[in-house]
Amino acid sequence: MSFNSIMIAGLTSIAFTVSAHAAQPPHAMPGELEVDPYEVSNANAGAEPITDPAVLAAFNGEAGIARIVDGLIAGIQADERIEGVFRASDWPRLRRTLIEQFCYILGGPCDYTGRSMASVHVDHGVTTAEFNALVENLQDAMDAEGVPFAMQNRFLARLAPMHGDVVTR
Amino acid sequence: MISIRRLLRFALLALGLAACPGLAGAAELRVSVTNSAGEPVPNAVVSLPGELTADFIPAEPLEMAQVDVQFDPFVLVVPRGAEVLFPNRDRVRHHVYSFARGNQFELELYGREQERSVAFSAAGAVPLGCNIHDQMIAFIRVVDTPFAVRTDGDGVAVLTGVPTGMTTLTVWHPYGNAENNLVTLDFDPAVDPAPQVTLDILGQH
Repeated sequence: MSFNSIMIAGLTSIAFTVSAHAAQPPHAMPGELEVDPYEVSNANAGAEPITDPAVLAAFNGEAGIARIVDGLIAGIQADERIEGVFRASDWPRLRRTLIEQFCYILGGPCDYTGRSMASVHVDHGVTTAEFNALVENLQDAMDAEGVPFAMQNRFLARLAPMHGDVVTR
Repeated sequence: MISIRRLLRFALLALGLAACPGLAGAAELRVSVTNSAGEPVPNAVVSLPGELTADFIPAEPLEMAQVDVQFDPFVLVVPRGAEVLFPNRDRVRHHVYSFARGNQFELELYGREQERSVAFSAAGAVPLGCNIHDQMIAFIRVVDTPFAVRTDGDGVAVLTGVPTGMTTLTVWHPYGNAENNLVTLDFDPAVDPAPQVTLDILGQH
């Protein structure tokens, strides 16, 4: 077992043990900011997983997903249309939970341990234009990873309905 | 004919007054503001007329921060002409504005940063809002005097170095239930160094 898996298992078991006694924030990994407790569930990912294994393969599996998320984050930080939305983000947590979310939705062997799309985006005042700007950056990252256009669109089709929870302005 | 005893007593009193810096010409004033139920009123601005000089240094930093989707502080006293910093210390963006006559401004949507500032050139009340967060509200009170302080949680404000002699105390609160949200009191700080003022407040904060 990798060090990360041991750590996750350990932290999870600690979280379950103490939850009855104290408000221990779940799934705030070392190097990440504290979060208020919330109910962890794959339903928070906001979409059902794709079951066709060809899609995950087209994304080059977990390694490809990690590279795409890194490319997406770099794109966001350089995009003056939306960098202000993300400027005060907990970047390590955002990277980790995006990878989990994409992996889960693409049918990979991951669970999503982050918060729901609605709760994460409340108060950000995201517009449709800003949502679309993020999708553009994601498309650029998928292009860089060599994901075929049709496969990109099958993934985007799972993300598009999140618009209702993400866009509040 | 004045008795020696009275003369001595008068001399002692004069010496005593001269030895007390608080009473001889400049005073410290402790103003208590309560509502008609006797409860303390925090965030009221208590002021006396005075001359604002260019070298005046305000008691607290001139900052109206945004944090936890609210402004901080709720009421900020600002000397006329001064520049106020509007740091966004929040996790989300804010779009700050006011329609106050003479002090109208807009800081278009910005994320976490310390760079935005606004100068306030007219005396009066400046209500603040955020274009994307309806619950955000605060007030800047721009004053033409160095003698202006906000009351604390106990409804108390201390003004130091105020000149003695008859003057007019003004007590303003953003929700003060009076004309122009303020009441005034004519008095002499040397005679009453701890005046109590009643101002009813509409609503809660």
